[in-house]
Amino acid sequence: MILGYSLTPFGHHPAAWQQAGDTQNLSFGSLLRQAASAEEAGFDFILLADRLGQRPAQDLSSVAVPFEPSLLASALATRTSRIGIVVAAATRQHEPYNLARRFASLDWISKGRGGWLVVPTPEDETRDLEYVDVVSALWDSWEDDAFLYDKAAGRFFDPAKMHVLNHNGPHFSVRGPLNVNRSPQGKPVVASMPGDGGWELAAKAGELLLLQAKTPEELVDQAGIMLQALQAAGRDRQAVRLVADIVPVIGDTAGTQPTAALHLAGTPAAIADRMQELAAAASLDGFTILPPTLDMAARFVLEVVPELKRRGLLGGQGTTLRERLGLARPAHPAARRETAR
Amino acid sequence: MSRGQMKLGAFLMAGGHHVAAWRHPDAHAPAGTDIDHFIGLAQLAERGKFDMIFVEDAAAIRERNPEMASQAGRSTSFEPLSLLAALAVNTTHIGLVATASTTYTEPYGLARAFATLDQLSGGRAGWNLVTSASELEAENFASSGLRPHSERYERAQEFADAALALWDGVEEGAYLPAGGDSFADRSKLHPLHHQGKHFAVEGILESPRSPQGRPIMVQAGASDVGKELAARTADVVFAASQTKAEAQAYYADVKARLGKYGRSTDDLKVMPGISPIVAATEDEAKAKQRALQELIPDAVGVALLASYLSIQDLSAYPLDGPLPDMPPTNLIQSRQQLIIDLGRRENLSIRELARHFAGARGHWQVVGTPVQIADAMEERFLDGAADGFNVMAPIFPSGLEDFVTLVVPELRRRGLFRSDYEGKTLRDNLGVAALT
Repeated sequence: MILGYSLTPFGHHPAAWQQAGDTQNLSFGSLLRQAASAEEAGFDFILLADRLGQRPAQDLSSVAVPFEPSLLASALATRTSRIGIVVAAATRQHEPYNLARRFASLDWISKGRGGWLVVPTPEDETRDLEYVDVVSALWDSWEDDAFLYDKAAGRFFDPAKMHVLNHNGPHFSVRGPLNVNRSPQGKPVVASMPGDGGWELAAKAGELLLLQAKTPEELVDQAGIMLQALQAAGRDRQAVRLVADIVPVIGDTAGTQPTAALHLAGTPAAIADRMQELAAAASLDGFTILPPTLDMAARFVLEVVPELKRRGLLGGQGTTLRERLGLARPAHPAARRETAR
Repeated sequence: MSRGQMKLGAFLMAGGHHVAAWRHPDAHAPAGTDIDHFIGLAQLAERGKFDMIFVEDAAAIRERNPEMASQAGRSTSFEPLSLLAALAVNTTHIGLVATASTTYTEPYGLARAFATLDQLSGGRAGWNLVTSASELEAENFASSGLRPHSERYERAQEFADAALALWDGVEEGAYLPAGGDSFADRSKLHPLHHQGKHFAVEGILESPRSPQGRPIMVQAGASDVGKELAARTADVVFAASQTKAEAQAYYADVKARLGKYGRSTDDLKVMPGISPIVAATEDEAKAKQRALQELIPDAVGVALLASYLSIQDLSAYPLDGPLPDMPPTNLIQSRQQLIIDLGRRENLSIRELARHFAGARGHWQVVGTPVQIADAMEERFLDGAADGFNVMAPIFPSGLEDFVTLVVPELRRRGLFRSDYEGKTLRDNLGVAALT
């Protein structure tokens, strides 16, 4: 079972800051402690959701990390070693070339643990599809073995293994190549969070598909729609991982308020049961944990994680995010052509 | 008159600043994608008590011709903000200055990124504002439109103003007010409502106020409009000057512009680049330089020389012959003349000139003992040509190690450089007041 951890300073409950309100929670050190604890517990990735691209108009939010998330990710990457780092970035807030560089850099800095959660532009799916294609092609600007570092011959790279994109589409014109080497995972993992829309983008380009539902029924519906869209796009079920948001509430459920995400309440064993049931019912590969408070995050790690381990459900292996998710490393298009010959 | 102490920046670049550095036996050729290499360099510069590390940027590869590009070591690198975010949490005192263009980004995103770098580092961030002149960059953003020089600067000014206003949008103490029932003290938030010619920017940054007030602003403007923008908004300027006279003229020019913005001459530090090749003896230093020069592929060196001379091509002329006569151009004339003069004065061939200039990529190069290098730096520092220097080690890590272990102690012995950091923030260490 894949496990993700959605990182916030105080927890996802809007009032969590009142229980443990301290400006220290906003610091890098505090966020790093959460990430390190998730890594130690065996989580596969942390998610920096960045309020899905919403920028504050006039007030601060206690569920937002007070950092630009792709840079926070690079910083966290140097102080962790196994956990993946999936970062939201909106297609209307970055030029494709800049975004491709940022995430290729993250993949290098994290030694293969980077992922991009595509935050789409509302009602502009054709632009987003082109955007993701451009970014993906920029990540293939260099073949894996393009860099020779041949000091004696004075040859830094093999010019035949550099690929100029020369993209000219309806929305973007980008020459390329990217000025970052092909990254350790070949490409960072592309995550997608379909909801009101975005099914086509998720089906065509997503690898880590993050579902959000308020009820189990809605989750099963969403998973069904997602898998149908995937089939319509001609992609294999094994090419993606389907992961749902849950808010775990261990023990006494009094005082919690329903938020937009699915709450699972009860004893650690009951929560583990519910996770297994949901995974089976909706064909899920795993869950992203949205801890309502940091205390609840700590209890999840101490009480639910061991229960999941006892059931043999955890134990992801590998040092890259792809390895942990069990996703294949994408071959460079030139290597694929070579194999086909 | 006492000039106090000089400021030092360590200008980092994967394999080294020398154009052929990556070929040297000391060089770590895959440095450009090795974060541990850069963490090591930043910690080394911090041991030397440098004010800052600095990284340049271009949102493109740097050479159009693949054959030529493949012989140089600078086609790929980390995106600078990602790199410095990683370095911020692995250092404690050194400033972190990233280059970023105002031409292909937007103010909210970039101001947010630098606010983040400032928070991650506890107040050690700096932004070297550039406007991206290269065609290769423009072609990576062709859908956002090409922009002529004057418009780029107009956009840069509006961009800088919007960024400064965003950084001032959240006052100290805005988060978690004492005894409050709300997460934020709304009276300490000042949302920006900017409607300008180039941008519409709304809202506040979700980030506490910078520990140093605002990130340090850096520029390298050489044009008139660039120098004016620097005088109005910058805390540091990096200048590329070859000769002392050139450096003095630039220094005087920029400092003279500060008064009209109500700023004192100490509020802006002028830090030209220096490319030092240092060894225990002069002969050893020259041998080090020679070893590097011999690694420059002729095609690379001659192409760089041609670009410094602002001419298309030199390949039609014999490599071992002199420079051909050429008419003056209206671009960077002083550097062109400097090259022509040196060639005539020392009777150098095209190959020799190419190696001479390509090595340091046109920057001020000093080759010698620690005493000779300190002498050269001291002279320019005392004679009004520099407040400090941006040190461009020819090769990493060995060139920076040499500077830290050989030159820094000599500067310290003369009272020209600090023994320990004065403060925790970059602004404290540079000793520049925050703009008001």
